[in-house]
Amino acid sequence: MRKYLYTIRSIVLTIVILAVSFLVGIYIHKIFISSTLAPLIFALACFLISYITLGYAYGIAASLISAVVVNFAFTYPYFELNFSIPENIFSAVVFLAVAIMTSTLTTKIKRHEKLKAESEAERMRANLLRAISHDLRTPLTSIYGSCSAIIDNYDIIRKEQQLKLLGEISEDAQWLIQMVENLLSVTRMGSDKVTLVKTPTVLEELVDAVLIKFEKRYPTQIVEVDIPDGFITIPMDVMLIEQVIINILENAVRHAQGMTQIKFTVELQDNTAIFTISDNGCGIEYEKLRNIFSGYLGKDTQNADRSKGNMNIGLSLCAAIINAHDGEIWVQNNHDGGASFSFSLMTEAIDSE
Amino acid sequence: MSNNKYKILVIEDEANIRSFMDTILESNGYQPLSASTCAEGKLMFSSHRPDLVILDLGLPDADGTEFIRFARQTSTAAIIVLSARSTEDDKIKALDLGANDYITKPFGTGELLARVRASLRSSRHSSQSGALPGGKFSVGEMDIDYDQRKVTINGIDIHLTQTEYNIVALLSEHAGKMMTYNTIIQEIWGAADTGSIKRLQVNMANIRKKLGSKPGKQKYIYNELGVGYRMISEDKPDE
Repeated sequence: MRKYLYTIRSIVLTIVILAVSFLVGIYIHKIFISSTLAPLIFALACFLISYITLGYAYGIAASLISAVVVNFAFTYPYFELNFSIPENIFSAVVFLAVAIMTSTLTTKIKRHEKLKAESEAERMRANLLRAISHDLRTPLTSIYGSCSAIIDNYDIIRKEQQLKLLGEISEDAQWLIQMVENLLSVTRMGSDKVTLVKTPTVLEELVDAVLIKFEKRYPTQIVEVDIPDGFITIPMDVMLIEQVIINILENAVRHAQGMTQIKFTVELQDNTAIFTISDNGCGIEYEKLRNIFSGYLGKDTQNADRSKGNMNIGLSLCAAIINAHDGEIWVQNNHDGGASFSFSLMTEAIDSE
Repeated sequence: MSNNKYKILVIEDEANIRSFMDTILESNGYQPLSASTCAEGKLMFSSHRPDLVILDLGLPDADGTEFIRFARQTSTAAIIVLSARSTEDDKIKALDLGANDYITKPFGTGELLARVRASLRSSRHSSQSGALPGGKFSVGEMDIDYDQRKVTINGIDIHLTQTEYNIVALLSEHAGKMMTYNTIIQEIWGAADTGSIKRLQVNMANIRKKLGSKPGKQKYIYNELGVGYRMISEDKPDE
């Protein structure tokens, strides 16, 4: 479909540019009574067309048409085709040369730009992989270490100590699971928006499922919920959006120091649902606030293994997921302490069934 | 070795996963059997007649759904499917073929045992045929009187529409079993059309509200996004 539209657009552009050139040519011809300017105008037209359109076809077609038109209308004998004069054949060849050379250059430039964009995406993926590998190593080290400690000293370590080590192993494994979920989400997103499969999802069911999942991991953390009463459906890739909410909730638990309560609200503004998760913890430092969603993927992370709780990986992913849903994501510090993460998604048009 | 422990067959190709499941099941009073391929699973199933099967969908020799088809020809034994997160379609297919429930990997002990209990209960329940005359269903504070078509919570009448009651009754007859959208729609409305899922979701939203549920605090009916609904079958909520 897109390709079809593009073809139509290119053809229309070619015709318009040639028509304008023709009119300008006739006008100039009348004013200056000179036949030297028309070929220049058409050369410019061929250049423009080759530059704007993709590939060689339009440029070559335009140059051939130009050669015929110039021959027909602007060279003596006027309004008659005459290819017997070598001069006219020569001008046709020049038109062709202009068109082909411009097209070649344009194609090269466009290919170069595409390569650049691809390598940028590749670089981001590489950064992500490097950072994740760093992040994976820490819990793996502790799991492996704790396990061998228990196995090697089974009779020596006291029971409480064993339990403590096992608890830490379990915690680290949980964290690894979350990390792998994030990785899966990255692969699920693919490289463009087209791959996203959106299904209409009932808001209440989404919130319900997320909270149950969250409670399983953090049974003691209470989340205050306030969502609109009506039946609201939002088209989305459920797993990805679930992942976004879980990441933000988890971020609050892990990083908002001094946090005692989390509020999860959804508001409707026209046909946009705004999800907000706010905590009353320590808030976010100003420098971090600015690139909190891009920090992880944007730059090379040297200090990724400083702590396992590198919060930006989850948040960068959240931003990517919300962007892929054509939504917005933002964060701000609350006036009365703590931080609020919000994101918006378009709801489905409400039908009264 | 004759005893009255429930026999549970675990069909899973990863030895480590099999090993920890065996340990959990055995220490919780079940008799675990295990198989590492679909073919071996079929053999064990035919010779041991387990009460419940825990089935990994990604087996080396065949798709796990093949086992479900095989087992459902002769048996109503409960089947719990183990699935990876990225394959909702497989889950739905497995459920529609007759699996009772599924657990997404990775899972904890508590979750596994809760599902095992629920599925054992539901298969026992359905083998007694849910539609007994004068049948009653009771879980938590909710009671359903099938004869009077009445649902009460703490003895107080819950006013449901015809359709809402039919859905609740259907879920209760299969309590503990994950019911896919498709199955419910087939049972309630017959044929499915484009608006069916939405109609079901709207009804379900009303039901859950009437049963006094709040997001994250479901008492009776759990939803599995994109898959279906499940009614709890024991007072201690399934994890």
